[in-house]
Amino acid sequence: MAQSLAAQRLPAHASHRPIGSRIGMSLLYILLAIIAVIQVFPLIWLLFFSLKDNQEVFNLSPFALPTDPKWENYAKVWTEGNISQYFFNSVWYTVAAVVLTVLLASLVTFALTRMNWKLKKPVLGLFMVGIMIPIHSTLIPLFQMFMKINLTDHPLSIILTYTAFNLPLTIMILLGFYQTLPREVEEAAVMDGCSVNRIFFQIILPMTSSVIATTVIINMIYNWNEFVFVNTFISSDGLKTLTVGIQNFIGQYTTDWGAIGATLMISILPILIVFFILSNRIMEGMTAGSVKG
Amino acid sequence: MDKVMSNKKMIALYVLPALALVLALIYVPIVLTGYYGLMKWDGIGAMEFIGLDNYSRLVQDSAFWQSAYHAFLLAAFSALSLIAYLAIALVLSGEIKGANLLRKIYLIPMLLSSVAIAQLWLKIYHPTNGVINSLLASLGFTGTIEWLADTKIVLLAIFIPIIWQYAGFYILIYYAALKNIPTSLVEAARIDGANPLQIAFRVKIPLILSVTKVTIVLAIVGSLKYFDLIYVMTDGGPNGASEVMASYMYHQAFRSFDFGYGSAIGFFLLLICLVVTWLIRKLTDSEEIQYS
Amino acid sequence: MKKKTMTVALTVALASAVALTGCGSNNAGSSENAGNTNTGGNAPANSSTNTGGGSAEKVTLKMMHLWPAGSSKQQNMIVNDIINEYQTANPNVTIKQEILENEQYKNKLKVLSASNDLPDIGMTWAAGFLTPYVKGSLFAPLDDVLGDGLKDSFVSGTTEAYAVDGKTYALPLELNITPVYYNKAIFAKYNLEVPQTYADFQKVVDTLQSNGVAPIALGNKDRWTGSLWYMYLADRLGGPETLKNAINRTGSFEDPALVKAAEEAQALVDKNAFNKGFNGLSNDEGKSEFMNGKAAMYLMGTWELPNFTTNETIPQEFRDSVGFFKFPTIEGGKGDIDSWVGGPGVGLFVAENSKVKEEAKKFVKFFVEKWGEQSVTKAGVIPATKVDTSKVDLPQMYIDILNELGKASNITLFADVQMSPAVAQVHLNSIQALFGKQVTPADYAKAHEEALAQEAGK
Repeated sequence: MAQSLAAQRLPAHASHRPIGSRIGMSLLYILLAIIAVIQVFPLIWLLFFSLKDNQEVFNLSPFALPTDPKWENYAKVWTEGNISQYFFNSVWYTVAAVVLTVLLASLVTFALTRMNWKLKKPVLGLFMVGIMIPIHSTLIPLFQMFMKINLTDHPLSIILTYTAFNLPLTIMILLGFYQTLPREVEEAAVMDGCSVNRIFFQIILPMTSSVIATTVIINMIYNWNEFVFVNTFISSDGLKTLTVGIQNFIGQYTTDWGAIGATLMISILPILIVFFILSNRIMEGMTAGSVKG
Repeated sequence: MDKVMSNKKMIALYVLPALALVLALIYVPIVLTGYYGLMKWDGIGAMEFIGLDNYSRLVQDSAFWQSAYHAFLLAAFSALSLIAYLAIALVLSGEIKGANLLRKIYLIPMLLSSVAIAQLWLKIYHPTNGVINSLLASLGFTGTIEWLADTKIVLLAIFIPIIWQYAGFYILIYYAALKNIPTSLVEAARIDGANPLQIAFRVKIPLILSVTKVTIVLAIVGSLKYFDLIYVMTDGGPNGASEVMASYMYHQAFRSFDFGYGSAIGFFLLLICLVVTWLIRKLTDSEEIQYS
Repeated sequence: MKKKTMTVALTVALASAVALTGCGSNNAGSSENAGNTNTGGNAPANSSTNTGGGSAEKVTLKMMHLWPAGSSKQQNMIVNDIINEYQTANPNVTIKQEILENEQYKNKLKVLSASNDLPDIGMTWAAGFLTPYVKGSLFAPLDDVLGDGLKDSFVSGTTEAYAVDGKTYALPLELNITPVYYNKAIFAKYNLEVPQTYADFQKVVDTLQSNGVAPIALGNKDRWTGSLWYMYLADRLGGPETLKNAINRTGSFEDPALVKAAEEAQALVDKNAFNKGFNGLSNDEGKSEFMNGKAAMYLMGTWELPNFTTNETIPQEFRDSVGFFKFPTIEGGKGDIDSWVGGPGVGLFVAENSKVKEEAKKFVKFFVEKWGEQSVTKAGVIPATKVDTSKVDLPQMYIDILNELGKASNITLFADVQMSPAVAQVHLNSIQALFGKQVTPADYAKAHEEALAQEAGK
């Protein structure tokens, strides 16, 4: 069914428009361009910010380039402390938690929307409550729990916490998409004698690849920038993440803002790249995904 | 069909791992928070059971209700802003040249951490050489607007970056949902002579209704327990003028060493979120529409 | 074909799950502190070189502090030097550091105390901050460490700030007072003299203000910054005891002098004495007004001295133009000019429940002594131990400050540190409201009085 939908896809025809509509389109483009400039500004600002010293950070206009760019901020960030170790930790905690979260959330959402069982509603409710607790209420209980099972100062405490706290959100996003997927495909698959695993991994997962890309991006950003849990559960320097790089430049009485800017700039680059790659996947939409199934 | 899709073992296998994680790492803290909320505890010494005293204090605490009011205002603003995000996503998902690039650019701010966003907006709001006041000065405006120091405007000033921070998140979700609509449905409407606006309102929006409902819940609950930028940019000040429930809870538990009371606030916040979510679901309850 | 892709997907999922647990246990084993280049933990037990006496049993001490190498390079280096020196002298001891930034440090300390898992050695603040930990029996008394004459090496009154019911629970590392720094160039430009009396001071403010210069740099989002101004006004009007007594409940916060001080603070606000938008600016942002030559005066702790003397990243010209003066006396007020606001900053505690308490105490003693020898010369931090100015080579401003410290008639501990954490929050919020003119001086005093009375009633 989905395959036939894709086959019917017609070429886009944007040529026969009245003039009024063209003026409207031009206005729209101007508006879109203005928003684009606004949205790109933060990145440029951050770059400028990272090249300033404290005097300039406060004295110059935020969008002014310092007369003498302080590239040494980057050198400082790169040499002070353990940045390559932090970087490695950030990557692997993020990847592990994202994979685990998206996989588990997809399984749950599939069971909630596609399979037949009685406790669906209460179980969904249980997951949804998960987005409602302020994280600062959870710090002491979680720490004590991890302490009891000897998981403090252990990467698992971070990965499992990230997964648990992002699962509800991820499930909710997936839910909106799963509910709209046509049932014909899997009905046909069941008729063909496919197992549940096959239906899930081979039909549903590929069909939802665009929303998976969406949730991966969201999860990735959250995990990558998280620092409260890392600070609380991890005490060894060798297990900390890039976000401690920021703390490294916050002093008791003074803060090295330029170096913080450089750390922020360094830490945004990897997710910027991954984001650009993944966001192409969303573009393809469901139809492209379903063809593969 | 029924048989395969009703396999109890498979259901358990699919649901239990995630459920176990959530129960252990979210529900245990929730239960303990509820428990601490019944205690007089500074988080250091011995606990003393005081029953519902913390809650009766909460009900009479005008500072708490002020923070709750602020959080609800934020929730209202966030929910309203969803309309703008949906509009942007609709435009981007349409036949726009360069939509692919625009979409990526639009989402860039969402990659920034709260620390970076806070610093950016502190510079924008700076009373003397901030972006806004410099702009106003160049337009001939002589007064100085103290964006983050004036108790009358600080709340509005802090809402703008918060809402802007999440723009990418919602645009991304809407965009992915819109892209998931089979092209054939849109084409069919077009062949029937529908203009882009009609297609948006009659075809696209109804088809992503379930996603929209989810975003409403996320925006409102997310706002009710919002913390990050407020903590960095104003710390709830001046004198509580920008305090929200989560920051109030943090201040009580971690600054005033009143962990029992802080826990009671945390638990109450959870209850508020539950009630609000239930209300939203009641209000938006309708049949789900599937592509077919 | 279909089957194959599925197996691949599953294998990847499984493999990542395996990798997850696998890597997990590996990393836990190799959790060595980066800032600390010690190898003591694995060093061969050549106990023959251990002349320090005591057992050669291997001991690991955990120490938490808030001097990261990035922002507090010198402090961090001294800490590492002291640790290395100690480890060399005591090869059986390994000291593991955990470093967090101020706010995160306080949060973590809170979580750790709630879980009874404090590090063996850590940093605390004085009085009000420390008392709950002492009451909860989490900090060990250090009076035995202070014996053998160590107490005499401290500036008198500093260790007392960490005492509860006659026992001392932490040893201070810093001692700060708060002068008013001023920009000599700006003062010269407008023919201004250093004010001796508050009336002179007000004239200085008026002159600067009428010439379009922000008289005073202040970032009151942090709130303790405004508290410094209030405290001086209270001291100069009511003498050093009035505020102290109000806090320790032998007096009242509604004392006329304390209300008058609040009025004077608002009078300064009315004069536009502070830079614009100060209530929404952090101390860092407020300070930058002074550092950039836009504001003429800045009341702050002596921890800023490096920025006016040795800090190479700040233009020499600016550093040379900074001087300081003592907060002027107020005509008819009870305070004298040699009374300061300030006090010891962070101090080292030893956890009561530490399994290696004795070793930790030994190290704390060693640390405090070594720190006192190096901190001011190497990091510009004035230690709470006595500094012999004749023996150290210091910038003139340090010498002047240390001399002032020597003849100080009184040092009033920062109000938010004197108070219990809950009252301190009321104080800080009230300060912001006072400076923002959201409360009247009378209501300001009343809010304090109520909070203090309620606390005392508990």
